[in-house]
Amino acid sequence: MQITFWGVRGSYPVPGAATVRYGGQTSCVEARSSGGDCVIVDAGTGMRALGNKLMREAQGPQHYDVLLSHVHWDHIQGLPFFSPAYVPGTKIGVHALLTAADELHQVIGGITRHEFFPMPLEAVPAQFEFHEVEPGVEFDLGAFHITPIALNHPFGSVGYRIDGDGTSWAYVADTAPFDKVIHKQHFLSGPEPLSDDDRASLRAMRDALVRRLVGVDTVVYDTHFLPEEYERFPHYGHSTPDQALEICSEAKVRRLVLYHHAPSHTDEQMDRIAETYLGRGAELGIEVVTSYEGLTLQIGPEPARDPERTNPGVGPA
Amino acid sequence: MKIRFWGVRGSFAMAGREFLRYGGNTTSVELLTDAGQRLLIDLGTGATELAKQLMTSEFGRGQGRLPILLSHTHLDHIQGLPFFTPFFIKGNEIRILGAKPTSGISLEATLQNQLDPHYSPLNGLENLAAGVSIDEIVPGGTIVVPGFEVHTIAVPHGSMWTTAYRISADGKTVTYLSDVEYPNLDEPLSEAIALARGADLLIHDAMHADHDYELRRGWGHSPARAGVIVAERAGAKKLALFHHSPDATDEMIDEVVQRTSASTQVPVFAAAEGSYLEI
Repeated sequence: MQITFWGVRGSYPVPGAATVRYGGQTSCVEARSSGGDCVIVDAGTGMRALGNKLMREAQGPQHYDVLLSHVHWDHIQGLPFFSPAYVPGTKIGVHALLTAADELHQVIGGITRHEFFPMPLEAVPAQFEFHEVEPGVEFDLGAFHITPIALNHPFGSVGYRIDGDGTSWAYVADTAPFDKVIHKQHFLSGPEPLSDDDRASLRAMRDALVRRLVGVDTVVYDTHFLPEEYERFPHYGHSTPDQALEICSEAKVRRLVLYHHAPSHTDEQMDRIAETYLGRGAELGIEVVTSYEGLTLQIGPEPARDPERTNPGVGPA
Repeated sequence: MKIRFWGVRGSFAMAGREFLRYGGNTTSVELLTDAGQRLLIDLGTGATELAKQLMTSEFGRGQGRLPILLSHTHLDHIQGLPFFTPFFIKGNEIRILGAKPTSGISLEATLQNQLDPHYSPLNGLENLAAGVSIDEIVPGGTIVVPGFEVHTIAVPHGSMWTTAYRISADGKTVTYLSDVEYPNLDEPLSEAIALARGADLLIHDAMHADHDYELRRGWGHSPARAGVIVAERAGAKKLALFHHSPDATDEMIDEVVQRTSASTQVPVFAAAEGSYLEI
């Protein structure tokens, strides 16, 4: 199994010279089994380039499955620009958490309403199927076995453990840590006092996450903030690499991938983050890779390591 | 009057080395009078870059005043709204002006839908700390914005209408005609020509290279040639090709500029992210 990063940025796309090496497009990761099965996780702006690649590869209409962590714009904005959707006969399964009483198709369809996009979802040639996911309720998609995991993010978010080819990886974004703030379905202008129930919910969410990550080879984690940025915005629903390392260390994960980079982080800052956390990870026995657009990682232990080889995690050329 | 293009890309923000010279941010254009009055057109991702600059001025202290004209509410023109940091500072007064969307839903409800809790943690306009007013305008009239005289018309854009603007200040005029496709390319709407009459700068939708247009007729956008026809008939002094296709690399845009320039006496350039230009 391998995964490829098509968008690694959080919040909104940031084109420009300052982000050209790590990439400016928002969340989208493609997973491939050794047999060629494909699952797409999140439909941020990176999904446009992925769609163009899939069109070049495809022989006729295909069936794609998209797992959504949540439906904030930076995780769904690429969907209307996914070119295979305009090929008649294409089937697209969208899997997402249902956090409100609405129908999932209305929520996804809402991004193509007349005011926002020229073509309504119903007029798109591909056939869409909507599947509600529920934390802890496992399911299979081709060669993949999927386990949704509840995360701590405004209006709800879900991570995925994805097993296949005898190995596994997990997508843990977007999420805040599980101590200071609990995200529910209302606007937070800052941290609110926690009740005992809130603390118990956070603890349960954290325990379940660690439990699901035990034995996972590679964890892609929302590490939007540096620690000092997190202190200023603890209610924004994102984590730091330190918080991700803590979780991965408890679950004894082999490799952590830093992901969902803050739009303000320039390539130079990202190089420093990559280097700093490569070192921190090494102290804990965890390989830390900082994701960038175009990065492909093999999941599972690599056969034989060439000690002379430069670690690919230090950053893009 | 000065102008700065903060976002020139149509439809989709394009990050990558092939887009660095013209820029990959979606549409946002700033106009500044000699006296320092400011007006913004459209809130694409380019607006987030302007926001950083504004935050170092009175907007960072909650004393900023800014009118924003929207051409329409397709996402590439409003995508920067939730990340336009002056909205998060109490005391700033930001006025968004635009037409009621063609669907009949109000402009305010449309922006509320953008910030719906499913899609945005802001959970609605009411959570923006700045004072935000949303004024629905009726295209065809004149609007008053401090320092600027603004004329508006509605132009066809696929299945909807967008608002085009003629903006004058300091004795200079800029016409903004983005996201437009004329029913007959060779006979652009007389209202559009009137809006660009004698303009010092015409900013025109040039989403498609002329040779790509036939495949994309009816999609709501213009080929580069449309701006030339309007500029020539209107006697505009300069033409900025704008709303570049997300597929257009820097080299492709260079080529469009070259071909378009060769076809007309009107000076032509492709709008690019960058510095302030004197009108």
